[in-house]
Amino acid sequence: MSSVATPDFAWDELARAATRLGDEAEAEVFHEFLAFPLGADRYALPVDRVREVVRLRQITPVPRVPADILGVISLRGEIVQVLDLSQRLGGSIGLRTPTSRIVVLHGREGDAAGLLVETIASVLRVPEHAFRDAPDSDTDFVSRLCEDEGDFVSILNLEKVLDLGE
Amino acid sequence: MAASGKESAGSKAQREFVSEAEDILERMRDDLSELAEAAGGGAEPDPDLINSLFRSAHSLKGLSGMFGLESLGELAHRLEDLLDGLRMGRLVLGADGLALFDDAIETLSTALVELQASEIGTATRETIAELLGRIEGFGGNESASEDAFGDLALPSSILRALTEYEEHRLRDNLRRGRGIYVVGVDFEIANFEQGLAEVTAMIKEVGEILSTLPSPGETPDSQIRFSLLTGTDLSAADLATRLELHPDSVETAMAPCPSSNTAPTPESSPALTKPEDEDQPSEPQREAVQESGSLKSISGTVRVDIRKLDELMNLVGELALQKGALKHLTDRLTSETSTLGAGTELGKIYRGLERKLSELQAGVLEVRMVPLRQVFDKLVRVVRRLRLDQRKEVRLEVHGVDTELDKLIVEELVDPLMHLVRNAFDHAIEPPAERIRAGKEAEGTIRLEATQRGNDVVITLSDDGRGIDTERVLERARTQGLVDAEEEFSEREILDLVFHPGLSTREAVTETSGRGVGMDVVRSNIASLGGIVDIESTAGRGTTITLTLPITLAIIQALIIGVGEHHFAVPLNSVRETLLLDRSEIQSSEGREILNLRSEPLVVKRLAREFGIEEEARGAKIYVVVLGMGDARMGLIVDRLEGQQDVVIKPIQGPVSNVRGIAGATELGEQGAVLVLDVSAFIEDLGRRTVPIFDRSRVRRSDA
Repeated sequence: MSSVATPDFAWDELARAATRLGDEAEAEVFHEFLAFPLGADRYALPVDRVREVVRLRQITPVPRVPADILGVISLRGEIVQVLDLSQRLGGSIGLRTPTSRIVVLHGREGDAAGLLVETIASVLRVPEHAFRDAPDSDTDFVSRLCEDEGDFVSILNLEKVLDLGE
Repeated sequence: MAASGKESAGSKAQREFVSEAEDILERMRDDLSELAEAAGGGAEPDPDLINSLFRSAHSLKGLSGMFGLESLGELAHRLEDLLDGLRMGRLVLGADGLALFDDAIETLSTALVELQASEIGTATRETIAELLGRIEGFGGNESASEDAFGDLALPSSILRALTEYEEHRLRDNLRRGRGIYVVGVDFEIANFEQGLAEVTAMIKEVGEILSTLPSPGETPDSQIRFSLLTGTDLSAADLATRLELHPDSVETAMAPCPSSNTAPTPESSPALTKPEDEDQPSEPQREAVQESGSLKSISGTVRVDIRKLDELMNLVGELALQKGALKHLTDRLTSETSTLGAGTELGKIYRGLERKLSELQAGVLEVRMVPLRQVFDKLVRVVRRLRLDQRKEVRLEVHGVDTELDKLIVEELVDPLMHLVRNAFDHAIEPPAERIRAGKEAEGTIRLEATQRGNDVVITLSDDGRGIDTERVLERARTQGLVDAEEEFSEREILDLVFHPGLSTREAVTETSGRGVGMDVVRSNIASLGGIVDIESTAGRGTTITLTLPITLAIIQALIIGVGEHHFAVPLNSVRETLLLDRSEIQSSEGREILNLRSEPLVVKRLAREFGIEEEARGAKIYVVVLGMGDARMGLIVDRLEGQQDVVIKPIQGPVSNVRGIAGATELGEQGAVLVLDVSAFIEDLGRRTVPIFDRSRVRRSDA
């Protein structure tokens, strides 16, 4: 699969459809992931952690927080922090382009958290056997890989990504 | 995640059950602790309390049945039976009985907590089973056999009409050597209820009404006669005088027997300490009365989930935003001649809307307000219990129980207040012997008082205990390396060390230094409510802890300020004034910037520097926002003042849960999310020099 920018509504539909599939197709163990490119690499996160995907909007910076936290956005009155995934994974400051999106995740305790990504590509359906353990790293940001048409996609370990050492 | 988002169909019903059952348990706890206190003082159990407990157990049984919670229903049922035995005098409540009820209530409340989350745990179920066994075995205290009323000069028509409970009360009065009389009173049918209530009240002042029976007599058709079976120490003549009745109206069934009423023997059934509750239903009717009572609400109040109020409050907040847009449009229309007419019209409508909106806002806010009474009552009970358990003479005085605060704040206050009261009880108040040596009353006093001051509520907790030994606190802080060994500290600064996590968690020094443990947690709890904690202490005389809290967190008026390209909101209740000054008026002392404010020094901080953001190009004029909480003041230097707004403070969701100095955020139309400053944090951090007393989990710096 390759990076395809699709309109927002389609993404919401897709995410919902994937969630539904995930509920029904229990006999056949497939896992759904939202996949997106970051620089030259591909990353993915579990669809069931995705609350919604929204367009880039005004991000209010917050003082006294690590630089990975870009600031907060207002989401229909809810105030949600936005994390720059690119910086968080040790890269440069994430690009903000017309295709940039904020992936709003269900956080650890029912609260929400936003991830800035450059663009959204696709929903991956991964059969159980396609998972591989990721090579060891000290951050543990990536727990597993999955193979997709010969390429590896890194699956984010959100518990670690969202844990800013409190 | 997925599980946290969905709710099972039963969960709403469960919440309803839990909330009602909590109320019942609360009442039972109240009654029980009063019983326990009376028992501790050697008095006999008050039948009113037993009855009240009985009614509560009965309601709980019904409620549990309605929600299909069999194990709770079973326990409530057994308790009800047990209480019935007690009120009928078949059983005697001893220390083991008290302990049994205490355990049962605690188990029930554990079960409620578990139910609130999901379902009753296995351990709790086992405890319930064990309690049922204990109740089963509680038959050992059967009281003396019943004797007939042969000696009584009572007409059989009255004796036959007595319920089992009334017979028990009659027997009890006889045992205590009281006189038993039948008081006959005639009333006009038209208003007999009022007359009967008056006579009942008068009799209760001197004794107990055992039974109220309408009786046939030679009365005119417009009148009705009542026979009041009364137990009292007074003689028949005295009773008649007291009731302003003709002596013939009082018939003696048994004259009082003064010698035996002073010291009831331990074997005797509960003696009366208070007159009988007048609405005590008679035995055959009690089930019916209580069933109907549980179906129909008496108070006319509505129980509302606080989340629904939050939703309403959000809507009001959004309306306030729309109002801002409308104001904008109105101003634009009135500023141009061609649309002046329409603009003026719209202006009128706007002002009408604004008035109604602020009424709506005040209304919604008011609904959220609850008095502190419940929390204070709880604390009184805790102290009563501690007093009994630890045999330590301490009195808790409470004042200002009607002071109101936002429901959410009140709930969050329970734990910190409980902690402070326990600290005072355990550590601050000396043992009686030590107090007497120090020339104090043997009984220690803890005084809890709440008052409203403007938009703040101030709660003070003072004790007349040993006070905080500042020397020992400093010594301890030095040996633990929390402060520099060389440095000198003022008394105030040392008292502030009590909130240091390093010092506050060590229990070893508490007994001698007279300060509490866990004070850092108290401070951070109060700070999360936007409040501050202050402490004053005089060695040997006592300690006063002051909590200053905002009345509500839900919607506040805020001053919007600008620094560089950033905007922040400052809660207006902590803004004392704003100043426009020449930059040259800022002086400095000991590395701190200060300002001469009407001949008083005011420490000022630059918000830009505090938050590591860029200021605007420096002009000659600066704005200073003077912040105040309690008696503390400070100034904040900002670039711009951008006006007032009503804002709804929202928590910030995301991986970094708390940012020092930020209380939350709000949405402000075109500016998107705007951060709200936590004034209490700024003021707390103001006096700190060398001691970085931060709640560590709250501190985040951009360079971290």
